[in-house]
Amino acid sequence: MSVQDHRYHRPAPGVDLQGRLSPFWRGLSELVWRLEHGFERARADGRPEEDTRVRIFLILIVFSCVFAGLAIGASYKALFGEAGGRWAGANPDALVRGDLTDRNGELLATNIVHYGLYLDPAEIWDRDLAFRQLRRALPRLQAARLRRVLDGDRRLIVLTGLTPQEKAAVHDLALGGVTFEPEDRRAYPLGTSAVHLIGDADTGGQGVSGAELAFNDEIRAAGQRGESFPLSIDLRVQGVLENELAAAAVKNQAKGAVGIVTDVQTGEVLGMASWPNFSQSNRGAAPDGATLNRAVSGHYEMGSVFKTFTVAAGLDTGRADMNTLFDASQAFQIGDRKIKDFHAQNRVMTLEEVYLHSSNIGTSQLAVQMGPDTMRDYFRRLGLLDAAGIELKESARPVVPRRWDSSTLASLSFGYGIMITPAQMVQAMGALTNGGRMVPLSLRRGGARGAQPHQIVTEETSRAILELMRSNVVKGSGGFADAPGLRVGGKTGSANKLVNGRYDPSRALGSFAAVFPVDGPLEAKRYAVFILMDEPGTYPKTGAYVAAPAVRNVADRIAGFLGVERRADRWRTATGEKIPEYQDVQGDGL
Amino acid sequence: MTTAPFFTYSRTALHRLFDWKVRGVRWIEIIGVALVAVMIVSVYAAKAAAARESSRIAQLEQDIRENGQRVRLLRAEVARLEQPARLESLSRQIGLAPVEVHRQAKEDQLPALKAAPAPAPATPAVAQAAPAEVAAAAPEAVQ
Repeated sequence: MSVQDHRYHRPAPGVDLQGRLSPFWRGLSELVWRLEHGFERARADGRPEEDTRVRIFLILIVFSCVFAGLAIGASYKALFGEAGGRWAGANPDALVRGDLTDRNGELLATNIVHYGLYLDPAEIWDRDLAFRQLRRALPRLQAARLRRVLDGDRRLIVLTGLTPQEKAAVHDLALGGVTFEPEDRRAYPLGTSAVHLIGDADTGGQGVSGAELAFNDEIRAAGQRGESFPLSIDLRVQGVLENELAAAAVKNQAKGAVGIVTDVQTGEVLGMASWPNFSQSNRGAAPDGATLNRAVSGHYEMGSVFKTFTVAAGLDTGRADMNTLFDASQAFQIGDRKIKDFHAQNRVMTLEEVYLHSSNIGTSQLAVQMGPDTMRDYFRRLGLLDAAGIELKESARPVVPRRWDSSTLASLSFGYGIMITPAQMVQAMGALTNGGRMVPLSLRRGGARGAQPHQIVTEETSRAILELMRSNVVKGSGGFADAPGLRVGGKTGSANKLVNGRYDPSRALGSFAAVFPVDGPLEAKRYAVFILMDEPGTYPKTGAYVAAPAVRNVADRIAGFLGVERRADRWRTATGEKIPEYQDVQGDGL
Repeated sequence: MTTAPFFTYSRTALHRLFDWKVRGVRWIEIIGVALVAVMIVSVYAAKAAAARESSRIAQLEQDIRENGQRVRLLRAEVARLEQPARLESLSRQIGLAPVEVHRQAKEDQLPALKAAPAPAPATPAVAQAAPAEVAAAAPEAVQ
């Protein structure tokens, strides 16, 4: 019907709908006009009762539809809408950051509601009394700040970070004009324990250092879910490590010390300590250099511990076996440099003897024979040329030699000329003692995510290294590390530090890299313990005296936590007594 | 049309229903109004109950939150008191030390360390077994 009835086509006064709505408006009015016309036609056809009924019926339909729609909408809202909207959305346990726990759920870091203290001087009756009472209740409150707020004329913050106890103390004064506002704060209840490793987070809830920074996003996500985030640390192991490390460092008058315990099969760090330590809550009072996590950021020329790597490379390339002979009867000459032995034997030695007597001459000869390419390849495989694979952002890159000539190779073979972090050391030791798989260190419970361990040396090499390390403890320089019945194997490391271009014997470094138990299948549970003493003040300064006893104490005390049983092996009984040599000769070749 | 009688019947029934009146008011309207009144009252009651429940839920959630915070605080306090360095210095102060290896034993070694109380009071010497002998007697120490 194209006839336009102007009665129905009338825009609302004052509103210009002509522009955009005109097609719609025209269509609607046509529809209404058609309906009206229908009624008129019905009346004209002589059925006058029909038109009112049709109208009523139409209106009924329209209203029914509207009300049905409203009813459905209302019931939907009542039944489902509210449940999703108000209750399920907000998790009452949600936090800005999740708790940080050790592998067994012991608390390492948590969020605690602290309070900001606000004062409104207008509501305070006696300002001097309030001043005295507040100072008594909160000794750390600065007098000047408090005085300024009290003499002011509006509500101001006086102090942030009140603990709940402090809040209660102030609240009990029953002063007027005192208000508290809650603020979420990160708390580190362990004080000095694992402080470098945990790191800290700022008041905005962002990680700043340590694991708090390394796992920042995951810790925050865990907090939103109301869960905690477990690290690979075992607090019992960590505690023992810290205590023994501190005891040894004090006893040896060391400048610094590092201790690391890892699971060599999974790469999990069970304990990591750096001495001296400090308390996160009192960071300002930290001694000089204490905030440095030496375990991942300290660079050291490690010394003889590196002989393990040289020997492993020699065995793995097939260049040497246990009985290969090295002439250590005189100093090894490279150019105008003479390499001598610290514990000179002045004789021809097998590879095993080279390792046990820690012969610089022997390992230098081996390294020079292997050549720069092989050495560089093995150092790279052992992760000595890159930062350790641990998640901590502090993990530092090593200082590696630029030229790999024969003299450098000789130095590298016994741990000079390259500065690595203790974490790299432990990672490489782990790879050599777990069957030859390079597993990155990890602070994540269960090991690094998505890590694909790859074979870097053969299983035979790994087995041989385990044998050598055990021999070194029972027959060689590592005797002090032998924890009774725990089958400890290890290698001492002693180095002088480079001071003003000269190696200064008065500034030494003693370390001991150990694994236990060395026996059993290659994939059996095995733990690496590494202790390093930086600049010990006592004499002798070698790793055998400054670090090995600490390794023994640590291994002895953590074995129970790790489920390592005391057992006899070829050389020692389960309680650490020597088994006489003749038994081996007469026995069945054990 | 077969359905025509049904339509006429229902039409007359409908007519009767709408013609059923009391004092000029249709019963159907009275019933409708009564039903609406019942519905209003019941919806009101349900809403009031729901409001009560939801305020109770909010109260409980608040309690949970407060208790959760208390728990967190107490856990932190426990962790503070159990600091390894603190425990170690406390134990050293009262003269405790790690157990020496010769004084350690496993459960299966217990009978060897001290014989089960036998009825015959004749074996006090066995109980005095020296630790070294005990270790030697351990099955894995034989190799």
